[in-house]
Amino acid sequence: MNEEQRLSTQLQERAFALFRRSLHIRTFDSGSCAVCESEIRLLSSPYYDLHRLGFFFTPAPRHADLLLVSGPAVRAAEPALRKTLEAMPEPRIVVAVGACALGTVFTEDELVHGSVDSVIPVDVYVPGCPPSPLALLHGLLVAVGRLEEKVQILRFDLREELTG
Amino acid sequence: MFWFLRGIRRGVVTTRYPARPEPSAAQLPTPPAFRSDRLTVELAERLAEACPAGALRRDGPDLVLDLAGCTCCGRCSEVGGEAVVVSGEFELATRDRGALVKRIPVGGGR
Amino acid sequence: MITAAAIALAVAAALWLVAAAAGLLAARGIGFRTAALASSLGGAGALVGGALAAIHGTSAARTIGSANLVGAVTLRLDPLASVFIALLGLIAIAIGLYVPRYHHPSRGSAWYLPVYNLALLASLGVLVAGNATFFLVAWESMAVFSYLVVLRHHRREGVARAAFLFLALSEAGFVLIVAAFAILATHTGTLDLGLMAARSHTLSSGWRAGIFVLALLGFGFKAGLVPFHVWLPEAHPAAPADGSAFLSGLVIALGVFGIALFAFELEPGGPAWWGLLTMALGALSAVVGVLYALMENDLKRFLAYSSIENIGIILTALGAAMVFGAYRQPALATFLLIAGLYQLVNHGVYKTLLFLETGVVEHTTGTRDMNALGGLVHRLPSSTVITLIGTLGIAALPPLNGFVSEWLIFQGLFQGFRIGHDLIGILIVIAGASLALTAGLAIMAFARGFGIPFLGMPRSRGAANASERGQPLAGPGLLAAACVALAVGAPLVLTVLDRVARATTGTDIKARLLVPNLTVIPAHTGFSGFSPTYLAVFLVCIAVVPVLIYLSGRPRGATRTVPVWDGGILSFTPRMQYTATAYANPIRVTFDEFYRPEFHVERASDDPAGRSGPVHYRFRVMPIFQRFLYAPLVRAVEWCADFVRPIQSGDVNLYLLYILICVIIAYLIYPY
Repeated sequence: MNEEQRLSTQLQERAFALFRRSLHIRTFDSGSCAVCESEIRLLSSPYYDLHRLGFFFTPAPRHADLLLVSGPAVRAAEPALRKTLEAMPEPRIVVAVGACALGTVFTEDELVHGSVDSVIPVDVYVPGCPPSPLALLHGLLVAVGRLEEKVQILRFDLREELTG
Repeated sequence: MFWFLRGIRRGVVTTRYPARPEPSAAQLPTPPAFRSDRLTVELAERLAEACPAGALRRDGPDLVLDLAGCTCCGRCSEVGGEAVVVSGEFELATRDRGALVKRIPVGGGR
Repeated sequence: MITAAAIALAVAAALWLVAAAAGLLAARGIGFRTAALASSLGGAGALVGGALAAIHGTSAARTIGSANLVGAVTLRLDPLASVFIALLGLIAIAIGLYVPRYHHPSRGSAWYLPVYNLALLASLGVLVAGNATFFLVAWESMAVFSYLVVLRHHRREGVARAAFLFLALSEAGFVLIVAAFAILATHTGTLDLGLMAARSHTLSSGWRAGIFVLALLGFGFKAGLVPFHVWLPEAHPAAPADGSAFLSGLVIALGVFGIALFAFELEPGGPAWWGLLTMALGALSAVVGVLYALMENDLKRFLAYSSIENIGIILTALGAAMVFGAYRQPALATFLLIAGLYQLVNHGVYKTLLFLETGVVEHTTGTRDMNALGGLVHRLPSSTVITLIGTLGIAALPPLNGFVSEWLIFQGLFQGFRIGHDLIGILIVIAGASLALTAGLAIMAFARGFGIPFLGMPRSRGAANASERGQPLAGPGLLAAACVALAVGAPLVLTVLDRVARATTGTDIKARLLVPNLTVIPAHTGFSGFSPTYLAVFLVCIAVVPVLIYLSGRPRGATRTVPVWDGGILSFTPRMQYTATAYANPIRVTFDEFYRPEFHVERASDDPAGRSGPVHYRFRVMPIFQRFLYAPLVRAVEWCADFVRPIQSGDVNLYLLYILICVIIAYLIYPY
């Protein structure tokens, strides 16, 4: 990355660090099967308890810091998605959740864009079908910089000597 | 009546994640990891065919696993036998979409 | 000072005659403009004259012609009447400024303008009348000229019928008024109002009561007291906007003047039940008026019902004043008289303003239906601001004038406990509670009456294409300034009204009304108090605070302007907004037993899948008074007429027989 990109990333990190202990999340379902939404709903349950981390759901994008998008960005939902993002004041974070949103389920056709990042810029990707609430928590904590990403260094090819 | 007594009896059920690892996470369905020394080309072809989500495909000498597309169904584990193990990794969030695409060398590799 | 006032009023009368004469030439531009100008200047004269006479504070009379003839004319400048004269003047100025841009030089204007100015002159006559004959002649002239004013657009559908209803009820009231004056004159032996007042205490209480009731009902017809109000919602939409403004601002006030004249001057010191009756009718009018106002979609009918409501409030105050007077609480009686007069002046100002603005709205959008308007704040910005001031005034929101006068009335009513008699105290408090209900409903009614037409998106093409160019602003603007002045200058207004009340009831409560620091107290220290002037200043100041916070704390960086968050829908259509009917629906449901509406639903087809096409929903509030009071009366009268009709057979021989019978009867009776 050149100097400019590095500084801009640093600035973004600093901005997102403001949300460390107090984050307001606006969810958006852009045409998913609603299982990702179920998992997101479970975050409010006593078992996972989003609030102890300082994260809250808000229905108003004006009050939201983070937009949690599931679903493959169907064209019918695109104006609403753009309007929701536009209504959020900066700094704002976009997190795409689930296999559909990451573009691996639907290809682009006349009904669907296929992936969320072809419509709006995405900051953090959370894979899974659906991502469990723990994966979602990890994703949100990565987004605000409280946890480090792991998947960069994870290896999914194991050689004989590394397995027990 | 006195519903809150049930809660007092049960105690705190909230997970301690991320401060402490979550024990129930061991039961989560997670993407596969591959023992590349046990992977043959023919096995790789069969794995790529078997994956219903299209997360596994062949690209040159490698087997490419797109973590974004993996639904953790376990078919590759059935087909691959000893070559495929459950990775146990669920903390897969990243800022970089490309980091979710993992290349697994077929037949040992370097 | 009184001579100056008299001169001012004479000048005003002359100017109105000039305006009437010039109005005959109103088919030409020059006659038209001269008439409007002379009308305004006459109004200025009346305002000055009325104000001077009110400040002067005592009555003065002068007789023209021999005092012993029936044809003699006594003119009287009375402080009570002078308040009404000042109101007449202010309204005339505003309407005079409004006329040039609202009417056009045409044959219709050529008879309308003279008639209107003659109506102004006749109203002035009613207010300066010193003897009963002159009063009655002026009253009837005012009624007939108002009728002609309503008939301006007589070729339009429904106008003639509405005007006829207006005239019929006006005449019904007039009969009662004539009866009241006739009985009073016969028993006091004089036609002079001043002498009647001096001698009325010699009548027996039965006669006094009868006269008062006749006067209350007779003037109640003109004032729009329930159940005599049915002409108001018909006549106001039929009349042109400035005619409606004149009707609502002044003609109704003359009804109140008549009641006040009988209650406080001609027959002062009546028993408490007179006041209770007035209060009951007033409270009833207030509640009924505002309830019907909430159901009206036509702007003018809505304002007409609101006038009924305000008259109810004023008469409740006057009735309570009479009750307090009967129970030897002169300070509170005077206080409530002042409060009632203040409310009357305020009502005249903001109701006239609202009617004039309704005229502007009707001319620019082509409709008066609230359900077809919307978004006028963008199309008619100055008119919206002016209407907003008037709406805030009539909804009695601080710091404007309606709030001050209603606060005074409430404070007076809340002191009902000072009367030793428990039942009467409770009745006064019940009246206060009715007024509180009215005030709450009025706020909702005017939030609807202002919000639906002016805010939001236009619901019809007419509303979308409205333009403010060429629309009258000076007249309504003057009244808006008057609203603010009457609020901020409340201490000044109260000083003048106190002098008027002192002349009328004989009690001076200046010291117990206005205390230092421009604070108003309700006739007793330690009860409550507030300063309208300081309140207005305070509210303006605290409105500045958020502005300062914003200016000092706003982000220095670039700001991004985005549309209002609307839930992400593709586009808003005007059909997604509240309709006026829907907004008032909670009230309709709550008071369903009172409204008893009839519903009518029409669908193009019964397809349940949502493809049934447009659905028409109509509902009509049941007109209680027309159906259960007037229709039976009219049927009874018609039945009697039918019963008697055979006499008029057209047969000459039968008529000769009638003459023979009458002559024989006369012969037989004559010796006795």
